[in-house]
Amino acid sequence: MKRHHIMAVVLLVAVALVCTLAAREFMAMNQPDEIIPGPGVKTVGALSNYLGNLAGTSSNASVYYLDSGKPGATVLVLGGTHPNEPAGFMTAVVLTEHVSVLEGRLIVIPQVCASGFTCTDPLEGYPQSFSLQSKSKVRTFRFGSRGSNPIPEWPDPLVFLQYPSGQQLSGNETRNLNRSYPGRPDGTVTERIAYAVMQLIDREKVDYAFDLHEAAPEIPIINAIVTHEKGKDIAANALFTLETENLQFALEMSPVNFHGLSHREWGDRSAAFPFLMETSNPIQGRLRGKTDATLVLRGTDEKYKEAAQLGTMRITYELTGEPLARRVARHLRGLQAILSASMESAPEKRIVLDGLPTYEQVLEQGVGAYLQ
Amino acid sequence: MPYELLILLSMLAVFALSVFLLKLPSGVALVLSAIVGALVGGEGVPLRHLVEGSFGYLDAILIIATAMIFMKVLDGSGALGTLGHLLMKSLYRWPTVLFIFISFFVMFPGMLTGLSSACILTTGALVAPAMLAMRIPAPAVGSFIAMMAVYGMIAPPINIPVMIIGGGVDMPYIGFERPLALASFPLALIVALYYRIRYVRSIQIEEVLSRLPAPLHAKHGLKLFAPLVLVVVLMIAIRVVPQYMPDIGIPLIFMLGSLVGLVTGERIDFWQTSRTAIREALPVMVILVGVGMFVQIMTLTGVRGFLAVGALNLPPAFLYLGIALLMPAFGSAYASASVLGVPLVYVFLGKNEIVVTSALSLIAGIGDLMPPPMLLCAFASQIVGEKNPFQILKRSVPFIVLSLIAAIAMIAFADSVVKLY
Repeated sequence: MKRHHIMAVVLLVAVALVCTLAAREFMAMNQPDEIIPGPGVKTVGALSNYLGNLAGTSSNASVYYLDSGKPGATVLVLGGTHPNEPAGFMTAVVLTEHVSVLEGRLIVIPQVCASGFTCTDPLEGYPQSFSLQSKSKVRTFRFGSRGSNPIPEWPDPLVFLQYPSGQQLSGNETRNLNRSYPGRPDGTVTERIAYAVMQLIDREKVDYAFDLHEAAPEIPIINAIVTHEKGKDIAANALFTLETENLQFALEMSPVNFHGLSHREWGDRSAAFPFLMETSNPIQGRLRGKTDATLVLRGTDEKYKEAAQLGTMRITYELTGEPLARRVARHLRGLQAILSASMESAPEKRIVLDGLPTYEQVLEQGVGAYLQ
Repeated sequence: MPYELLILLSMLAVFALSVFLLKLPSGVALVLSAIVGALVGGEGVPLRHLVEGSFGYLDAILIIATAMIFMKVLDGSGALGTLGHLLMKSLYRWPTVLFIFISFFVMFPGMLTGLSSACILTTGALVAPAMLAMRIPAPAVGSFIAMMAVYGMIAPPINIPVMIIGGGVDMPYIGFERPLALASFPLALIVALYYRIRYVRSIQIEEVLSRLPAPLHAKHGLKLFAPLVLVVVLMIAIRVVPQYMPDIGIPLIFMLGSLVGLVTGERIDFWQTSRTAIREALPVMVILVGVGMFVQIMTLTGVRGFLAVGALNLPPAFLYLGIALLMPAFGSAYASASVLGVPLVYVFLGKNEIVVTSALSLIAGIGDLMPPPMLLCAFASQIVGEKNPFQILKRSVPFIVLSLIAAIAMIAFADSVVKLY
């Protein structure tokens, strides 16, 4: 055997070894997170109940029904539209594991883009998971990708043509659930998830629908409630309440000509009042420093601190950090304020939640205290 | 000294040592510097991150591999030489028209796909033999097609860096046609006219044709060009009539073109041709694997954020200069658009954001020419037979400076630029 043949064999063995070791880490992300239904959960279903072809796929997210058995409003809460926005899905997990419904009905999908929880985004250096101490044990949750897993729908087109608007976006947005509404039953994996959510909204007669997000601190819609024209009054009333508590939220109206977004398409195509909420999440930002699970939990980043102090651009970043607890607390309080405002505008559509922790409680005790 | 700077310096030092002292290929040097960066950054040897980073440019790698096979098939079938021959014979009487035509011809695939590399590997490779036959030096020809590739990527209707920035700031891809045309076509025209005046007084057609391969259209007929027509038609179809033609991916389009090319001209040994193509493309593909690992480790350890905040930290007087120097330094149009393009749109809030984003995409596009990957220079060097891609970069410097000045002017006077169209 010649020298270059030996070298080739050595290199092949080395590559096989590296691939095997790395593959174990990648494959571990296929293991679903443990979400323990709390006392309020009456039924657990799946998105495939609304679109059969999702059954048996990694996109078949669990749906939790918290039903009081009494008439009232039906509220839908989505977390994990973007699986790299942990405050969004951890808020939904808290609702699932800790809250009961006294009037009306609450439907929660904590990890709606389940496929996106099975991978991270290349070049972003993201951690694969983060852990919290709950009442009983250490709970670990996956930190996923912004979009669906690329493998089932690879390759991305060069240009994503949003259906049905025909709007052009960069190709990787084809896997962005929040650009894919209303979706279609025979479309890409992401479009099918979007379609199933639309079906759920229609079939369950959802009155108020929430899509919980986070965004990079330099994005202007941070700490905002984005709504459709029809939800404007409810959101404005909620903002007034929140301001009296010194919680600053901005009201953003859904752009009429930007299609595929939950607040636009849910509002245009269903009876539901849509609300999308954002918090400031440094790990999503392009200016962040060292990228690890600590950044997910504590939200402290020297680079954002520096950038915020520079004042070159508008950066929504508390100099002490943006901890997960505060981000989840904001979502919970925002949700509660919007629901209260909705009941003022439509008293017959009541939704009363029991066990919803207050903003201060979550700040003091952390998110883990409200997990099983 | 900030710790991120120490990590960055250690990565750059390992890269330089590996390339210049150990004479390792650039791609391997990038892998080594990524590993050292992770070690210095306290991450050990993060196998998962290294492998994940190596997949960052997988789609580009596949395009390069299949495009190279396609070009070798076109070359082997005789289509490449014949096209160059016909082009020269048709337009040699009007050199200015010839150069303007060649410029927009090279830009065309980039305009359709948003990929700069597609310009070099398809139309760039088609015109290169004709330009070389006019006795234009190989590095200059390489520089010409590399610059046209950048302008093709920026020109409408498809501009991926703008879409990436738009995705980050929730801005739909609407209303960009005119500012993108302004950011690309005049510059392409200036470069074309420069080449016409600098290198070509008049074309001695017999001499030029004698240096090109003999045309084969008489022997094989128009079917000689069927692979090229198929590739162009498919690229247009997936964009223009997506409801009838699903996006099958650029690599598959190139492979279909290659298969058709097997029966439309001279006989080709497909396996041998493929092996040659992949062997020639391998250094560039390895660079992309290495760059992916390099960027992933930079992000993981905070070096990327250090560079991004550094750009914003520049005093206002130096901000424009800093943007012009730092954005291309990312060595990739897409990486630059994502990392710096998005925050910079917010820095320039108040100016016309469509003009600003178009100009930023031009600056980001220059990144495809820059080291360490030097993607376009590396491709162009292979096409024109120049061993050192730095020679192509060197020849491109005046055009790069011109483009950066134009882009910065567009940003500075964005609100006035709007009135131009």
